[in-house]
Amino acid sequence: MRRLFSILLLFLSLKSVDAQIVDFNHLNFKKADSIALALKGESLTNLPELSYKLTNQLTTEAERFRAIYRWVCDNIANDYTLYLKNDRQRRRFKDDSLKFSAWNTKFRSELFGTLLKKKRTICTGYAYLVKTLSDFADLECEIVQGFGRVSTTNVETLDLPNHSWNAVKLKNKWYLCDPTWASGIPNPTTNRFRFQYNDGFFLANPKLFAVNHFPIDRRWWLLDDEDIPSFETFLKSPVLYGNAYKNLENHYEPQQMHHTIKPYKTLAFNYLLKKTIQPEQVKLGFDNGFSEWKEQPTSISIKDKSLEFEHQFNQTGFYDVHLYIDNDLISTYTVEVKK
Amino acid sequence: MNTQTLTQGKTLKTFGFVIVFMMTLFTVNTAFGQTTEAAQERTIKGLVSNEDGPLPGANITLDATRVGAVTDNEGKFTFPKKLKTGDVLVFSYLGYVTQKVAITDKTSFITLELTPDMVEMIGAIDTNKPYKSKRKKNKL
Repeated sequence: MRRLFSILLLFLSLKSVDAQIVDFNHLNFKKADSIALALKGESLTNLPELSYKLTNQLTTEAERFRAIYRWVCDNIANDYTLYLKNDRQRRRFKDDSLKFSAWNTKFRSELFGTLLKKKRTICTGYAYLVKTLSDFADLECEIVQGFGRVSTTNVETLDLPNHSWNAVKLKNKWYLCDPTWASGIPNPTTNRFRFQYNDGFFLANPKLFAVNHFPIDRRWWLLDDEDIPSFETFLKSPVLYGNAYKNLENHYEPQQMHHTIKPYKTLAFNYLLKKTIQPEQVKLGFDNGFSEWKEQPTSISIKDKSLEFEHQFNQTGFYDVHLYIDNDLISTYTVEVKK
Repeated sequence: MNTQTLTQGKTLKTFGFVIVFMMTLFTVNTAFGQTTEAAQERTIKGLVSNEDGPLPGANITLDATRVGAVTDNEGKFTFPKKLKTGDVLVFSYLGYVTQKVAITDKTSFITLELTPDMVEMIGAIDTNKPYKSKRKKNKL
């Protein structure tokens, strides 16, 4: 009996290695979120005090970190102008290390000034603030620098690190989160940022995270060695949107962004959902360069949280194919159909 | 007469004893005062700067407490609580490396330059805008 119990314990502990936010299913984070909400609008002039106010009523590490993370996501805006300015100059000086370094020093000062006075920043500012507030609360947190793939960047030629996120140690285990992408969505045409908290980026599954986050420091994959992709493989991954983190636990197929197939051949789609859905909630969007339309895939199989289906491409052409769940844009692939 | 001389002699002896006793007391008291000065709580002042000069708005907190001070427009501060040897002050400012300073027997004024946290500033914007392939052929 004792041996059986030991085996069961071992099995449960191994199961939890893969799990992420599910490790804290016993916590609902309502209290942490309400504390963060009550402190909305607090200034950044006294970070030790802000950190204390966010965490002193909470007992678990996960809740204390949650209050900090949620406050940053709800109070710090993504500054599209700063992003463009930095991106332009980094590209301009990318082959001149001295000028590149000088620009980074100058921009660093401007960025922290804007964050302090206007509570507006870019990725590193979010990650830096989460880490600093965590440090004051004695929570172990790191800034992760790397590459982020989004639909509006040139997804196949990422040549410079362009994104920062966080790793946090809770109950002796590391987790990943992305406060920048969780905070909201800026509109690139109007430059206006809209706060819209996306909970999917909090303690996200590292396997899903790996589809569009490539850390420079290998230890922040939080994956087994055999699951870590090469940079070339990463650049060939599908484009994932923020809504993927709300709806998916993992993305299995198609593993690549671009596909070339013959007419009447099919492409397989396979996902692990966060919660089960009905077939009619799944749609594929098509754009062949001339027109756009949506279709419901035929032969959808949904077993508990597993979603699988295929789509047959009958006509030659070049298609951008988008997956939608309940009108949430999840991911994009391209399919060239030719004889 | 003899009696008077004797009395004067006794008075002088007593006076001398009192003087010696008081001097002893004073010496002991001074020595005692010197040993307690190091352990005595005292007001700590200071000046915080960065690479550009005095730094207004820097936070100074007594480690593991909420007691703190903020530097004025000239980068100066007076800590609101008297501190003793062994207390630790935490100096912080957004974008700079947080530094801890332990109060020693000789600390009364702290001059500290905070160093920039040299993190590389990068940012990618996530959007809900669908990916769109470039199609040169279709434009022709």
